[in-house]
Amino acid sequence: MIATIVHTDELLQTIAASVIAGVGVTFFFSLGIWGAGQFTELSRGERPVAAAAAAAVAAAALLCVAGAVVTGIIVMTHK
Amino acid sequence: MDSDIILVLVIGTALAFDFTNGFHDTANVVATSISTGAARPQVAIGFAALLNFVGAFISISVAATVAKDVVDAEVITPTIVFAGLIGAIAWNLITWYFGLPSSSSHALIGGVVGSAVAAVGFDAVIADGVIGKVLIPAVVAPILAFLVAGIAIGISYRVVGKQRPGIVSRGYRYGQIVSGGLLALAHGTNDAQKTMGIITLALIANGTLAAESDPPFWVIASAATAIALGTYSGGWRIIKTTGTRIIKMDAAQGFSAQGAGAAVILASTHFGFPLSTTHVINGGVMGSGAAKRLSAVRWGVAGNIFVAWLLTLPAAAAIGALTYGVTRIFGTGALGPVLVTLMALSLVAAAFTRRAQRGAPVEAAGA
Repeated sequence: MIATIVHTDELLQTIAASVIAGVGVTFFFSLGIWGAGQFTELSRGERPVAAAAAAAVAAAALLCVAGAVVTGIIVMTHK
Repeated sequence: MDSDIILVLVIGTALAFDFTNGFHDTANVVATSISTGAARPQVAIGFAALLNFVGAFISISVAATVAKDVVDAEVITPTIVFAGLIGAIAWNLITWYFGLPSSSSHALIGGVVGSAVAAVGFDAVIADGVIGKVLIPAVVAPILAFLVAGIAIGISYRVVGKQRPGIVSRGYRYGQIVSGGLLALAHGTNDAQKTMGIITLALIANGTLAAESDPPFWVIASAATAIALGTYSGGWRIIKTTGTRIIKMDAAQGFSAQGAGAAVILASTHFGFPLSTTHVINGGVMGSGAAKRLSAVRWGVAGNIFVAWLLTLPAAAAIGALTYGVTRIFGTGALGPVLVTLMALSLVAAAFTRRAQRGAPVEAAGA
């Protein structure tokens, strides 16, 4: 009865989606900034291979952020 | 003829409510971007208005909840909806006048529930819907935003902690353009739908739409336009006041707060929970502040928000019920709603004039 009134499943899914999206996007965006910062440092230190790896991490992380944003909007529009 | 006049009054009042909703909430949506220097005020407000407009077209789940899950549409009349709207607008104006933060969403639902109870009795209220889709999410959502923002900012500080401050600040400022945009989109999709739901409820009550109908396109477009215009035109004075009350945040905190707020609102909207976006955004801001330093948060403001949350539903319900009673003094025709509209317009004009003459700061009383 209480579960029916409270819409427990929908509420739990809302909580899970909010935590995954809110924390996940911030984590990957921070990783992107970390990668960009490392790339700048390593490029100055003339370590091209490590700099390229850092740039790849930054690019991959920012792609994850973009993917999460697009996925979120698609899910919203297909309700 | 009378029912058509009342319907026009309801639609006009609902769109006016939607306009004030955007007007009040501009500060909530853009204040963090402006305070961290991520965007110029004019650009941030224009961007927020545009995305509020777009967001209103994304989903109709919340509109369906407001139209079908709060009160029994089959016993509702346009006059009941009208009285509920007046209750919501009156409570918003009262809280705005005294500078109390409050929720337009809760005021709207409280007003409609109050007028429905006055007209039909408690049988008109869908208790399961009010508890399960309004009250419980209203409690959970700000706490969720607080926790998500707190966890997010903790992780981000760990990830970028040893980087040069310059690149970190620049990076999060760019990020805030995206997170602020998402927040505006989320705000548009959750808040504009409440007006759509109310207009749809009135159209069903008037017999213009069949029961269980979804909002027609013109309702969606007009609600989207009203909230976007309110967002674009209203924010300036409110932003100045809100900006001085918000803690000084760094760009990472702004990004986390906006990201958490957008995530919670979009996820809730997907499942049709009509939230107070103001409470969610404030929860995110407090969470990102508390994770860094507990004393950075103005807990007095948090307490005021909590008190206002407790008062909003019953107060708006009482005004809605009273308004319905006043309209019934003049019978069941259009005379009562017309006179109440004229009285309401006079009171609004008097309140704005008095506020302007006193030159007191204008406070946000958001959604």
